[in-house]
Amino acid sequence: MLTPGTLVYLGQRLALLAFTAIAVSSLVFLGVHQLPGNAFLSDRRIDPNALAALLHHYRLDLPLLEQYRLFVVGILHGDLGESLVNRGVEITPLLLREATVSAEVGAAALVVTIGLGMLLGVVAAVRHNTVVDYLATTTSVVGFSMPNFVIASLLVVVFAVWLYNATSGAFYYELGWHGTYGNVGQIPVPAFALGFPYASIVARLTRASMLDVIRQDYVRTARAKGLPERLVITRHALRNALVPVVSVLGPLVVGIITGSVVIENIFGIPGLGKEFVTSILNRDYNIVIGIFTVYAVLIGLANLLVDMLYTVIDPRIRY
Amino acid sequence: MVARGPATPDDLAADPLVFRQTNRWGDAWQQLKRNRLALASTVFLSALTLVAIISMFWTPYPVYKQQVAGTYEGLSMSHPLGADQAGRDLLSRLMVGARISLEVGVGTQLLVGGFGIAIGLLAGYYRGWLDSVISTLINVFYGIPDLLVALILVLLLGRGLDKIILAIAITRWMDMARLVRGQTLSLREREFILAAVSIGTTPKGIILRHILPNALGPIIVQATFGVPAAILFEGFLSFLGLGVQPPTPSWGSMAADGFQAIRLAPHIVMAPALALSLTLMAFNFLGDGLRDALDPSQRR
Repeated sequence: MLTPGTLVYLGQRLALLAFTAIAVSSLVFLGVHQLPGNAFLSDRRIDPNALAALLHHYRLDLPLLEQYRLFVVGILHGDLGESLVNRGVEITPLLLREATVSAEVGAAALVVTIGLGMLLGVVAAVRHNTVVDYLATTTSVVGFSMPNFVIASLLVVVFAVWLYNATSGAFYYELGWHGTYGNVGQIPVPAFALGFPYASIVARLTRASMLDVIRQDYVRTARAKGLPERLVITRHALRNALVPVVSVLGPLVVGIITGSVVIENIFGIPGLGKEFVTSILNRDYNIVIGIFTVYAVLIGLANLLVDMLYTVIDPRIRY
Repeated sequence: MVARGPATPDDLAADPLVFRQTNRWGDAWQQLKRNRLALASTVFLSALTLVAIISMFWTPYPVYKQQVAGTYEGLSMSHPLGADQAGRDLLSRLMVGARISLEVGVGTQLLVGGFGIAIGLLAGYYRGWLDSVISTLINVFYGIPDLLVALILVLLLGRGLDKIILAIAITRWMDMARLVRGQTLSLREREFILAAVSIGTTPKGIILRHILPNALGPIIVQATFGVPAAILFEGFLSFLGLGVQPPTPSWGSMAADGFQAIRLAPHIVMAPALALSLTLMAFNFLGDGLRDALDPSQRR
């Protein structure tokens, strides 16, 4: 699988990724510096000398071009600077830690998206035009039309409020995140809220491509040679039905990353998304720039990973 | 034997072997009427539009006035949807929220339509370097995640309703541009365009009189799917506190307010959340119906 051609392709993609990250952060950097006000001016009245010292500390008194040069040099060294609001907090380690929290929830959401989506899609296709099919199809239309914060609210009402009242507080979903990574019981609900809308898309696609594949000759052959139906579906049909699903994985992962901005704020998960909104509201522009850079890299990596997955699922594709 | 004159329209209608003359739009309407979900969605959305218009002149209670009901008051005869954390009547606020949502959805699609159709037509008709530039632009915009761009735009532009509409339009024009470009590319090779060219129609006339009307079906379908996407987007922004600013009642910000008190008064978050979901669902069903009716190439 790893031919020289693939390696060259991989190198090109990674170079492009680095270029995109620098381009995105430069745009955000220049854009943010056009904004009136800064993190200090919006605060209480401040002593002019102290303000000058602060501006000097953050190098905000330098000409814009010089600031930009230092910023790009910093990025190339993996240094995103210092938080404007919480002085002394280095942004790079902060964001890296938060990225792992987001990745934890995102991975769980991806399991929901793919697992539930494929399950609904396959079941709907195998039981085509039966009640099961209609139920699965309707579920996916409903899921597709509900914003993730609506799903999250519904889940909280059911699992945190109603369940609490019904069991007199013995068994319920506890809102509020424990520690940095939460605990096992806390992950499913946000993961479901984040993954379900995209599961609907996967379900629709799987159903359509399964219906297509199931009528192919080689599936009939598999049945004719006496394979159990379960094996026909999982081994023969599903594998080929997966190709169109993999093709939307890239946008799905991007969707989960952006969706996590909302979900993390609802459930109080201390990941990138929560930091993103907090830093915008706090006008902590150094963090805003940093998060955009991290997002650009994450999304680029996700797309690259999905493109590589193609070659595994469909060996005819080579780079 | 009774003498008969030429057949009247009534005779023709009575004769099952004679087909009724229909045009494309009449045909599409017949198609749409047969789709019950789409029809129900049309009724729902008409009612919603009516409510939004009414809310400009009359709401059951003043929208911004606090303590017209008890704080967190539940559902009752005088306040059918209860009241929020400031004792404001939820039904009144939900009505105005409908107007905000529709303004965002339709406003965005007007901008997206104007810009996307124009550059799609230009790229598809003239091709060459213009097409390369526009196609590259489309691909670049597809590469960046829309929610992040919208957030940074809102940060840069400010948070008025008009700026939010602009920000959403900037992140969402590509689907329309790509669709119109593709339609134009295939339409311009057809014989009737050749005929129009041969009788000396100007490029402007060809684009506006011949290509655009023929691409209108898919454009309407695309715009119908664009409206819920824009409404959803505004909901996200407002839910995060980065969209329409309080006290203006947007469904997203109402849901965010309600979420703070979800244990105490779940109805505050449920009312805007359900309104938003139903509206999005109606637009999606209507879009499905319109696609089946107007865009035969996509018919399943």
